[in-house]
Amino acid sequence: MDYNGLIAGAGGSHAELRLQTNTDHKVVLLNGELVGNTFSRRGGVCSRVCKNGSWGFASGPETDDDSVREVVREAASGASFLDSRVRGKGFASSAAPGVCPESVFTDVPQKDYIEAAKEIDAYVSENCPRLASRTVVCVSDCMDKTIFTASGVNARTIDPRVYIYVFMTAETDDGGTVDMFTVAGGRGYLGPDMPDRNECRRKVDELYENLMKKREGVFPEAGVADVILDAALAGMLAHEAVGHTCEADLVTGGSVAGKCLGKPVASELVTLTDYAHTAFGSTVPLPLYTDDEGTLCEDAVLIKDGILTGYMHNIESAARYGMKPCGNARAHFFTDEPLIRMRNTAISPGTSKLEDMIASIDNGYYLLDTGNGQADITGEFMFGINFGYEIKNGKLGRPLRDTTISGVAFEMLKSVTMLSDTVKWSSSGYCGKKQLMPVSLGGPDVKCRVSIGGR
Amino acid sequence: MKTLQGLKNTAADALAMCLEAGAEKASCSVSQGLLRELNVEDGKVNLMRSNFNSSLRLIVLRDGRKGTVSVNDLSPESIRRAAKDCVEAADAAKPDDANCIASLTENADFSEGIAECDETALYDATMEYLDTVKSDYPLVTIENLISSYSRSESVLLNTNGVDYSERQGSYSISAGFSSSDGDDTTSLTGCGVDFLGFDKKLIELGDQRRVFDRCVKELGASPLGADGKFTGKMLMSPECAADLVGSAIGLFLSDGVIIDGTSPWRSKLGQKVASDKLTLSCIPHDSRIVCGERVHSDGYISEDFDYIKDGVLKSFDLSEYGARKTGGERAKASSSCIGIAPGETPLEDLIKGVDRGIYICRFSGGEPSVAGDISGVAKNSFLIENGRIARPLCETMVSFNIAEMVMNILDISKETVCDGSSVLPWVLSDGVTVS
Repeated sequence: MDYNGLIAGAGGSHAELRLQTNTDHKVVLLNGELVGNTFSRRGGVCSRVCKNGSWGFASGPETDDDSVREVVREAASGASFLDSRVRGKGFASSAAPGVCPESVFTDVPQKDYIEAAKEIDAYVSENCPRLASRTVVCVSDCMDKTIFTASGVNARTIDPRVYIYVFMTAETDDGGTVDMFTVAGGRGYLGPDMPDRNECRRKVDELYENLMKKREGVFPEAGVADVILDAALAGMLAHEAVGHTCEADLVTGGSVAGKCLGKPVASELVTLTDYAHTAFGSTVPLPLYTDDEGTLCEDAVLIKDGILTGYMHNIESAARYGMKPCGNARAHFFTDEPLIRMRNTAISPGTSKLEDMIASIDNGYYLLDTGNGQADITGEFMFGINFGYEIKNGKLGRPLRDTTISGVAFEMLKSVTMLSDTVKWSSSGYCGKKQLMPVSLGGPDVKCRVSIGGR
Repeated sequence: MKTLQGLKNTAADALAMCLEAGAEKASCSVSQGLLRELNVEDGKVNLMRSNFNSSLRLIVLRDGRKGTVSVNDLSPESIRRAAKDCVEAADAAKPDDANCIASLTENADFSEGIAECDETALYDATMEYLDTVKSDYPLVTIENLISSYSRSESVLLNTNGVDYSERQGSYSISAGFSSSDGDDTTSLTGCGVDFLGFDKKLIELGDQRRVFDRCVKELGASPLGADGKFTGKMLMSPECAADLVGSAIGLFLSDGVIIDGTSPWRSKLGQKVASDKLTLSCIPHDSRIVCGERVHSDGYISEDFDYIKDGVLKSFDLSEYGARKTGGERAKASSSCIGIAPGETPLEDLIKGVDRGIYICRFSGGEPSVAGDISGVAKNSFLIENGRIARPLCETMVSFNIAEMVMNILDISKETVCDGSSVLPWVLSDGVTVS
């Protein structure tokens, strides 16, 4: 079937058609017992049509020719329904896709996930004797999309990820519990070397060592403190604290970044970019080449040397703000319309050494591990902190138990005084803005001031 | 779209395919649905969505091993492949005596709510909502708004003879918004409600006007101040109470923590775990709930029940697998419709009784530890001093332990708020660190 011809016939200033299948595997071992063993394949077709700024979107699970025609007709009908009531402003469509190097989806049998989880579970069981509980999860997801637009785009993207998570819980001497987790893996399919089992075992050893320290941990003193955010947290900072405020739909909704374009919002040490596929000379963890509107994926530089330089856009917001879209329109399932989303968001490295950064703090904290984070349009953010250390007189002190840090993004970024010379990425998470979306986060170690919760 | 009988035929065929593929027992859920949705961006309705969806979930047992597969292609070829995949997944698993499918009790068919969407009425009501917000709350900016109609038909059949069907349809509206005055902008907040018709203006449903009023009062927020740190009382709004008290269900009562024994409430059934003011229930059949759950995904008819009654732990939140694994009882419904029983004190008097405390309306925090320790930012919140709301707060954190927080509940308001999926009062607790 000529999908480009079909979607071109839908009318409007922009029209797109997407065939998509999401394939997910998940295996959960709790103390060695298989308590989760699921496989999901969910696919279908969707279409979106824009008439004078009014959008119609429709989706259905069946992909035979009649069903595809019906989905396009329903999307055009929705756009017409709104266009007859709210007449807005149209905009030109884009037609310049990139090329995804992946061209074939490779599924892996469920039993291989079970075997991979068992292998790591056996290692944990053998080498981590003082646990109250252990959970090993082997999980993968893959979005396989083919995108057609009225302007002629015909692009396929396949984005597979696979990870092994290890969660550990230990009892404390006072009868309580502490818990932590680690994760290994990245883009690709499950195999003997993916995730790298040696890397998994190294991370298990490190996790167990840190958990044993955390058993003796203390809660930090609540208040504002000098801290060093480990590189793993810098990515969360880039994504939650800054990235969301620079999504153009949130800018339109009143985000603090709307008033700051071209103004200093951070220390001049800070450059922050939402990367498409390549950063610092290497392929990023989750490279993207064409977004779900058919736009070529390019880097979106948000902060350059402390100055807010841009936002992330879809084609509609780019037209509204007179900026270039960089391929940030992404949808999770075939039932979802593309939203403005981050991809691989990172703070650029500096020149400092971590040991010098620690030595520069008299009384503060070195925060190492995070599980989640949130922010809102004012730029106020919070991250959960799972592990860290006190810093006393330039040296690491007692380990920390769970806490939370918070701040206001652009104030906090102005307090950045040192950045380390190395970048770490994390790619296992999802961003949860209306739809889930795989994203990666990165950055160096960051010295700054934040509010920290105590107990 | 298939008829209900068509869905049952599909499920029956799927069970036969599972048995043919080697399963000893099998369970199949099939559902289809329609979602009509209006999305508002920048103050105008800019997208109309029509999603037609279907799904099929198989569970098979063989030699005590269990496999689960979900697909959304209901063609015979797809289902046959899913049945084969499911049996293969089971074969790769370890045997576990706790694996099971629902046993036959009493079959039933349920039908609730609205069968068809009135798109024009939904559009008109949404526009009226936007116009009302614009005129009554001029400082408020709607960041996003979704109004929708959803309908689902589902069946659950298994090889033990279980045969349920459930048909539901309802509308909902949810809005995310903030207030702005010059350079001053509040944190994002929101409200929403499920409903069955258009006999009332949408903004009058539930307790949405209170949230809009409160959003405007959040302007002018300031930090607590470096010297303002205190340990004291925390008054939770209904939506915040649902978040914080409700999180105790997942944290202390769910399968994982009961099976591995790490829940601090693991051995507390029949014992006091909370203030005797607290009764926390699952209420899918409450008349105020819109289209509550009728069939649990494990394959049993859902019933109302108490997790905590007058402070005493009455039930864990166990699946049937979790119950068999631990020798306990399965929860009688999933935890989607939560109710907290009201107290006898008016909200106004709750506030009057607080010398120094925080009125928290949204909690933005990290995941609580297994022990229940949690800290986070108090969003959309206010300082209470000398029995009155003194001023809005920003950049303020709260830290506490959830188990201690429910034990320290001092009082619960007589007023409750119903949003169609929960019925909740204001909850006053003590011993919270505010900084």
